[in-house]
Amino acid sequence: MTARVVAAPERPIVSHGSPDDQMWTSKLRHRMFDNLPPERLLPDEQPAYVSSWIYVFGVLTLAALAVIIASGMVLAFAGPTWYHTSGVGHFVNSLHFWSVQIFFFVMVVHLWGKFWMAAWRGRRVLTWVSGAIAFLASIGAAFTGYLVQTNFASQWISAEAKDGLNSVGIGAWFNVMDVGQALLVHVALVPTVLALIVVWHVLLVRRRGVVPPIDGPDGAAGRGTRDVAAEPWRGLNRRYDIVKEFAVALTVVSLLTVALSALWSSPDEKAITLQRWATAAPADFVATASAELDGSSGTASYGAPYVDLKGAGQSIGPINLQKWAGVRIPVDPARQFVVVPLRTSLDPSVSGALAQWDGASGTQQVAWAAAFNAALGKAPDGDPAKVATGDYGPVPQMTAALLRQAQSGALDGPLALGGRFFQTDYTTSTLFLADGTYLEDQAVKEHLAGDQSGMMNETGAYPGQEWLWLYTFWYQIKPFSSEANSWGANADAIIWALMAVLSLGFILLPYIPGLRSLPRWVPVHRLIWREWYRSRSTG
Amino acid sequence: MPLVLHFAVDLSSSGHYVHLGPIQIAVANLIAIALMIAVFLLAVLLPFPRGKR
Repeated sequence: MTARVVAAPERPIVSHGSPDDQMWTSKLRHRMFDNLPPERLLPDEQPAYVSSWIYVFGVLTLAALAVIIASGMVLAFAGPTWYHTSGVGHFVNSLHFWSVQIFFFVMVVHLWGKFWMAAWRGRRVLTWVSGAIAFLASIGAAFTGYLVQTNFASQWISAEAKDGLNSVGIGAWFNVMDVGQALLVHVALVPTVLALIVVWHVLLVRRRGVVPPIDGPDGAAGRGTRDVAAEPWRGLNRRYDIVKEFAVALTVVSLLTVALSALWSSPDEKAITLQRWATAAPADFVATASAELDGSSGTASYGAPYVDLKGAGQSIGPINLQKWAGVRIPVDPARQFVVVPLRTSLDPSVSGALAQWDGASGTQQVAWAAAFNAALGKAPDGDPAKVATGDYGPVPQMTAALLRQAQSGALDGPLALGGRFFQTDYTTSTLFLADGTYLEDQAVKEHLAGDQSGMMNETGAYPGQEWLWLYTFWYQIKPFSSEANSWGANADAIIWALMAVLSLGFILLPYIPGLRSLPRWVPVHRLIWREWYRSRSTG
Repeated sequence: MPLVLHFAVDLSSSGHYVHLGPIQIAVANLIAIALMIAVFLLAVLLPFPRGKR
């Protein structure tokens, strides 16, 4: 077999009509260079109507993303515990935190600018669509980032967010209390997807060019069948150094990020341990443990994906995605939260209590625990020491022993590790903690609760996730704010469905009559392109 | 100036919140949203340097 030698240097970069054009590689190269010739990919000039500060917010968004990725790579290399224990680590975390704030800030301004320019005109719908998807993917990236902070905020966010994800079945596959899963999604999966979407968006911008003024460039847009906005620009150009623009944007964003980090650092409130909970709120701890034993706790009565319980879970009318996803993360609260950890206890009183518990029927166990639970509810301050006498079996001894174990710090390990050496899944300890009221009480103090628009808030006085305003808004108003009706009882599932529809509307906004015409009716574009309109009117 | 800002605005202290009907919003978030609107208006209104044609 003889190989055909092609004198590559003799051939033009783009050649059409040769037999080699049938090769996949040739086809791809032709497609690339036809759609994006180098002068369009890295232009040194652009239409003269591109003359407003609003245009710099796209490149500022890219610059902020670069700072996020750079600071995130340092954090990823050093590992998730570094920033809690090192001053340098905390500063890098601050860079990551503030660059995310700047990223969303400039991205929202960029988005507003593109909306008022009706930037989807002239076969640029995909540019809008890719930008809108990038915005939504960024919310996903930020959400997973908040989950993996491994501090109080991430503890609370995972305990709360699980309900929304579970209500539409997603939680069965993406377990927000599994820090290992969330971390890998945050540092590997989401950045890759986001980077691909952003590259797609930027290439579309370069391919189609910057949208011309509304009713321009020759005043014919919207008239007849010609889509003037889609035609190549033949008017005056101005010099445009795209590389210099990015370098300046990167410098500005980097300096701003460093300044904000140096000024205000970043939030990092310590996670609540079971020891802290048992010490600070022993009555709540004991009440929660007995609720786990009688099956009345939040987790025991949750339904999918943790417990197989008929009628439990949320639905959207007849659509029960939570139930259909199934019990994929099975949890047995009484056994996993109380009985198994007690078996690791060195407390001599435990073995007798456990033997009595093990020897009883399931019905008897629930009856003892329910009776104790009811008595706790009637005791002054819920104090286990002031419970009236009754037939509670070994439940008082078991819950008291579990309390002592937790207060000594010996429960955090067994409950979180579950008998394993390596482990990154904190589902059991987070569920147990969230079944009590202590975690929620601390969250309420920080204004993080769902009915406090808490999804938007950050611990301390730091800016939070303003971009979640619409999602959290629905939880504040009736009928969703009251669990007394079916809308409120199924609020998570219905609001997720509502947000899915609204997100789809946001992505497909160029196709929505009325909304897509708003930029034409409200003449913000007259301000953005005022120089161009002025020059056109003066000839 | 940076030191003044640092001591004047302590973000690690307890937050302040504004109640607007059923909505509670952190002052920090409100400032961020107000800044976004202000920056958008400035970006639209401020004259852009004329480039070489």
